[in-house]
Amino acid sequence: MNTPIALITGASRGLGRALAAGLAREGFALIIDARDAAALDSAAQEIRAAGGNVTAISGDVTDAAHRAALSRAAETAGRLDILVNNAGTLGASPLPALADYPPDELRAAFEVNVIAPIALIQQLLPLLRPHGGAVLNITSDAAVEAYTGWGGYGAAKAALEQASNVLAAEELAIRVWWADPGDLRTDMHQRAFPGQDISDRPRPESVVPAFVRLISQRLPSGRYRAAHLMPAGHGGRHAG
Amino acid sequence: MVIDVAPPGAAQSERGLADAMLTGFGLPDFRLPAEREAHDPPEARGVARDGVRLLVSRRGSGQISQHVFRDLPGLLLPGDLLVVNSTGTLPAQLRAGGGLAVHFCSPRPDGGWLVELRQMKNKISRPNGQGCVGQVISLPGGAALTLQARAGARLWQARLSVAVVPYLLRHGVPIRYSHVRRDWPLAAYQTVFARTPGSAEMPSASRPFTHAVVTDLVTRGVLIAPLTLHCGVSSLEAGEDPYPEPYDVPPATARLVNHVRAHGGRVIAAGTTVVRALETAALGAAPGLVAPSAGWTSHVVTPETGVRAVDGLLTGLHEPRSSHLRMLAAFAGPDLLARCYAAAISAGYLWHEFGDVHLLLL
Repeated sequence: MNTPIALITGASRGLGRALAAGLAREGFALIIDARDAAALDSAAQEIRAAGGNVTAISGDVTDAAHRAALSRAAETAGRLDILVNNAGTLGASPLPALADYPPDELRAAFEVNVIAPIALIQQLLPLLRPHGGAVLNITSDAAVEAYTGWGGYGAAKAALEQASNVLAAEELAIRVWWADPGDLRTDMHQRAFPGQDISDRPRPESVVPAFVRLISQRLPSGRYRAAHLMPAGHGGRHAG
Repeated sequence: MVIDVAPPGAAQSERGLADAMLTGFGLPDFRLPAEREAHDPPEARGVARDGVRLLVSRRGSGQISQHVFRDLPGLLLPGDLLVVNSTGTLPAQLRAGGGLAVHFCSPRPDGGWLVELRQMKNKISRPNGQGCVGQVISLPGGAALTLQARAGARLWQARLSVAVVPYLLRHGVPIRYSHVRRDWPLAAYQTVFARTPGSAEMPSASRPFTHAVVTDLVTRGVLIAPLTLHCGVSSLEAGEDPYPEPYDVPPATARLVNHVRAHGGRVIAAGTTVVRALETAALGAAPGLVAPSAGWTSHVVTPETGVRAVDGLLTGLHEPRSSHLRMLAAFAGPDLLARCYAAAISAGYLWHEFGDVHLLLL
């Protein structure tokens, strides 16, 4: 049997790291990336120590040369079953009102949260189509709710959601999911609430069963909330 | 056996090669008279969708019986599983200038499509045999179609300048062949199970299902599970290999198939596309089981391959010498199948996508 292969961006910390460990436990071989090489190496070591097969490539998803390196790794592996576009940026912190949002920071947020995932999808579609592969884009309720201060991040995530929606209509032979994990105890969430105690938010590991269910059951293309995907027996804890 | 019910002087089929091959397997051969063709949707003939006729054959007993489609729930048993195809029909014909029509037949794994160039004549299209490598064809709405390479005698590998599915949904019309007299809206070509548009032609075995029939099935305890296989065009010519079609047998459906068969229930495929997908999913599993699988399938079910994971097939009535008859023979055997077709012809059943249907049970 061929080992299924998952490519997960932004896998050195937070949700990406938890998803990588979860998919490794499910038998996926992994290709992971993150900007911070040391943190990425630490994540890869942890997965290997647990028996996982992982290729770690550090770099920035907005860098075309880095995206090409990720593509080459997938081509070398000979197949790709799932691409998880998890790498993202909050943008300016503390969160400014749109009236005051520096355009350069806004542009940078769109580069990371919208342009890079679409570019990576474009590069990897030829590997995803032949095996009925899947794309999972990590998004946020900030894409659909009007949270003050979240205009930059929310607008970028809304763009990613709509790109996912169109991709699902255009690509007949793959699954496209865009999923809101809920508020989690992550560095990104801390940057949104600098100086505040966010320890009431669930750990990223807590939503991994929801994503494993989405992926392993090959649910239909569409928008999902992790809180609604928790398998029976996991308590269905509200994750935000 | 050959059942000759054609009027004197009827034209011989062009497909002599396929004829020789198929009759070699003992399949029923017959000429289909025009009055046995469904020219319009049943609703246009004053018949409800679920009011078309249903021929039932049982291989075990050799019995053939005749029903109305809405009797189907009573013909199945609680614990049987009906597997349906959730593909939607695309308006897959594009009409360009100069009477040129393009049929978008099937997506390809590389993101391109197989297309056929046809010529409109008296509001119906016929193969036109033209085109050359590298040719760019202008289509409505500013789209451009580039012919990249030949794929068999009629088809081309081609690439459209815009995403094909949304483009077809906006600019296309349903593919229609000469036995249907006029254009019908896309709704006439959708089944009650259609969710994801992707098929060049309707998965027509599911056309007679209505919400009422589905409710009857559910309350009787018949289980229903979906899969997806996007159907290409059915009009393959002699010597053409079937091309790969995208399919997806999701884990929940695969589990249900295995569960039902393990408990003595029957898995009934609603359409030849469902057989093809389930039998593909059975190739990678232990005998008698299916495994979740997705991708592209070129698997052809014949009396030689047999069926591994399906116990019954609901399907339309197929043309003489069509490759589908070989799949049907895998369920019914050639003798019973020939008797079914003789019965259907003498009882006045109607053929093609708007016609009557046939349930083949083991």
